[in-house]
Amino acid sequence: MKRLILLSALLFAFYPLSAYSDQWKLFEHRYEYKPEDVLQATKFVQKKGYWEGFKDDKLAGYVFLSKEWTSKLVGYSGKHLETLIGMDTNGDITGVKIIFHSEPIVLIGLKEEYYLNFIKQYKDRNIKEPVSVGKEISMDAITGATVTAVVQNSIILESARKVAEAAGLLKAAQASGKKLSQKYAELTWEELKKSEAVKSIVVTTKELGLEDEGDYIDLYVANVTPPSIGRNILGDVFYKDIMSTIKEGESAVAIFSKGKGSFKGSGFARGGTFDRFNIEQGSKVYLFTDKDYRVLSGIKAEGAPAINEGGVFFIKDRDFVPVLPFKLTLLLPYRLSAAKKEFRSFRMEYGIPERFLE
Amino acid sequence: MSDEKIGNKKIDRRSLLKFLGVAGAAAGASVMVPDNVISESKKMMFAKAEGDSEKGRQSYEVKPGEYDDYYGFWSGGHSGELRIVGIPSMRELRRIPVFNVDCGTGWGITNESKKLMNGFIVGDTHHVHGSYKDGTYDGKYLYVNDKINARIARIRLDYMETDAIIDVPNAQGLHGTFPQRHPKTEWLVSNTEFQIPVPNNPGAPQNQYYGLHTIIDAEKMAVLCQIMVEENLDLAATDYQGKYSMSTSYNSEQGVTVSEMLAADHDYLIVFHWERIREALRKNNYKTINGVKVIDGRRGKSDIVLRIPVPKNPHGVNISPDGKYAVCSGKVSPTCSVVEIAKLDLAFAGKIKPEECVVAQPEIGLGPLHTTFDGRGNAITSVFIDSTNVKWNIAKAIEAEKQGPEAKKARPHIVDVLDIHYQVGHIMATMAETKEADGKWLVSLNKMSKDRFINVGPLKPECEQLVDISGEKLRIVHDGSTYIEPHDCIMVRRDMLEPKVKHRYDMFENPLAVTKSGVERKGKDVTVRLTANAPMYGLQEVKLKKGDKVTVIVTNHDEISDLTHGFALSNYNINFIVSPFQTKSVTFTADKPGVYWAYCTNFCHALHLEMRMRFIVEA
Repeated sequence: MKRLILLSALLFAFYPLSAYSDQWKLFEHRYEYKPEDVLQATKFVQKKGYWEGFKDDKLAGYVFLSKEWTSKLVGYSGKHLETLIGMDTNGDITGVKIIFHSEPIVLIGLKEEYYLNFIKQYKDRNIKEPVSVGKEISMDAITGATVTAVVQNSIILESARKVAEAAGLLKAAQASGKKLSQKYAELTWEELKKSEAVKSIVVTTKELGLEDEGDYIDLYVANVTPPSIGRNILGDVFYKDIMSTIKEGESAVAIFSKGKGSFKGSGFARGGTFDRFNIEQGSKVYLFTDKDYRVLSGIKAEGAPAINEGGVFFIKDRDFVPVLPFKLTLLLPYRLSAAKKEFRSFRMEYGIPERFLE
Repeated sequence: MSDEKIGNKKIDRRSLLKFLGVAGAAAGASVMVPDNVISESKKMMFAKAEGDSEKGRQSYEVKPGEYDDYYGFWSGGHSGELRIVGIPSMRELRRIPVFNVDCGTGWGITNESKKLMNGFIVGDTHHVHGSYKDGTYDGKYLYVNDKINARIARIRLDYMETDAIIDVPNAQGLHGTFPQRHPKTEWLVSNTEFQIPVPNNPGAPQNQYYGLHTIIDAEKMAVLCQIMVEENLDLAATDYQGKYSMSTSYNSEQGVTVSEMLAADHDYLIVFHWERIREALRKNNYKTINGVKVIDGRRGKSDIVLRIPVPKNPHGVNISPDGKYAVCSGKVSPTCSVVEIAKLDLAFAGKIKPEECVVAQPEIGLGPLHTTFDGRGNAITSVFIDSTNVKWNIAKAIEAEKQGPEAKKARPHIVDVLDIHYQVGHIMATMAETKEADGKWLVSLNKMSKDRFINVGPLKPECEQLVDISGEKLRIVHDGSTYIEPHDCIMVRRDMLEPKVKHRYDMFENPLAVTKSGVERKGKDVTVRLTANAPMYGLQEVKLKKGDKVTVIVTNHDEISDLTHGFALSNYNINFIVSPFQTKSVTFTADKPGVYWAYCTNFCHALHLEMRMRFIVEA
């Protein structure tokens, strides 16, 4: 996984030249804040990483800064989108305020106002429920700034869920004690699908309201870390190569697709972050960047279809538990006409089947 | 032959019908093919997935978003550079400046590259080969010669960048370069095609002009020693056991005119015995000339050199992937000479005559130049005058030789003859210079394209034809155009390099890396340190005085892969680029007063055009 550019943050500390910092201010927007901005309360008590807010001496909720919890998630600018978030004791978001960002959408293209409108949609969302851009959260306000939107979504959800775990609202996921089996068996494409080692989402053109026939995208996902899944999908040479790239305990997930829809998009080309899909597990949201990725151009297993796009994505964060299920969210932009761009979001759950565990 | 277009893929009808087992189907009937059947050909990366029915019918289409199966490394001839070409798409993926000035990247402009180039700005790259481990590529380095200025360059494959250039003393027309194949590349050999006096005394008589077989320490990139012979030394090869290197010679006459060079009716394949070279070095059996240990390998003076007579003026020498044979292509003779490598020890020991190492001399065609291999016992030779690629079977040639002249006359060794367009020089099959030759593709590097492309003026592109060699017959599938003037190439399986090639530099590998922008002045010497971070340099302006000697050092601090920045200084004739985390520097004299904008030349950001800064030179 990514989560880069700590380096550039560090380098900032070295720039002594005022002219230079003045220039950078053009690219950075910082705002004042107070906890009341996002939670109605009369008293705030500092806890580790968050405030408890009290109204009439009764606990009303929590207020927290995203950078305490998810500083590794960075926007198109390569910098964290610092967000102040309020949440009540049910897990409903009570308010969200942007306190720092340097996203280029404010420089060229969109007005910052649109971004702030986008943020407003999070009020009253419950963080125990799935909240995805393109589904619960509309992209209408900031069409085009998908990297910003997707990263912002991840920042709010992951920060809130982590605080919910810390405050006892949510239970942290428990590892099952199982581990990945290192045994190998040759499997065909049908066998991989039947065993659910590979799972798919099919999005038809019809359900998107498009005129063409057939499937817009068939998206497949597989955790290719266990040899019986990985070698059959990637082939021995590529599997070995992938395994030498990751360390023990880290995971590699293959995502690939058929059809004219694209799950990779082009947002990652400049910003580095893939903005059309992410993986969620428990409170954590994993976004991927071009540093955590290798191109996958064909599937080895006998009977496998030709694919249009594919990638092997690495999850290097130690908080990801490979033997537990995760959710894959696909955010699919498409055009109803040359002028009309829409977004839809699709989710699927994936877990490595029992037979590949021990 | 009619083509059927299904989806995005064109399929040859006959092979399709055969593939589906319906060869008898009426012509013109439409054929429905399930998506995944057609796609099989796309899975070339999985050898297992190929059926026999596809032999000779490989798909060469690389669709948008797909990758090539091979990295092709092309020499650039007198353009002085190297190129990376994707195979089978034949797309030029990159150029690697080596001996040439390249204003795009700043090679030959930056201090770092100028230091390597050492004042020279022209080069003629002929033979490019990779470093080896156990008979196949280890993915570390490429080596390439410069025929004009007698140099050897090394390219590190993680960055695909030239990292060393060395001069080879006592040599002219440096040619025929080949790395050690076994157990790994410790030595690298290179030849002297033009004999000269050694040392280079202008008054020396013609019979004291010598050819030198130079041995280079491939890791240190330093000349280890040279073996001096009367003959010129043309192309080179090393064996698969780490025992010998060998060279063809077309001027054993020590001639200085064409007629003198053609005088003798035979020339040689010259073999060098590596253990005996080591022994000569141990015993100090050499003279130091221009700082190099020169071992005397002249006729009658040495047991290091074996001269195997072959018909006059031969050209290429190539070793079969099983390591058994050296094939010496005849050029002036229409034959190839097949030398059995197992016999070399006997000949060195004096137990057999040198000519007894030749086990076959099959007739190939007019002007055989170079030979490559399919890994299935066949050789494919480029034939210049006939303008053909000739596929022939080595075992059958040897068998016919044993049976005698009558059997040879029937030319039982010839498998297929392919017309190419036109006048082929080098020829190379995928992985053919390794023990893993896979017999999939061949590129015929044709010297003339003539009428194969739209007319672009009197200077035409080269025509490099891609040939499917997976079947019995050779099949041309693509005309690839190239600019001046690749000589030779290798094609390396993608999986062998892919894990080793990096997306960004290791910033602190370069001691000059800038972490803090600023200007430092020491008298007239000014150092300007700049970070480049889209869309800004670390400074907005720099003040200089006329006559300052200015060094600008730029480090790219953007980590995103492919985000390269440029640095050009207006009216000061300076440009270079820095890739993610790379550092480069340039030094110039600020001799023109005024305001000069420096700007980013490599598109980097939506505000790329705003990425500029002033250099104010005060009078």
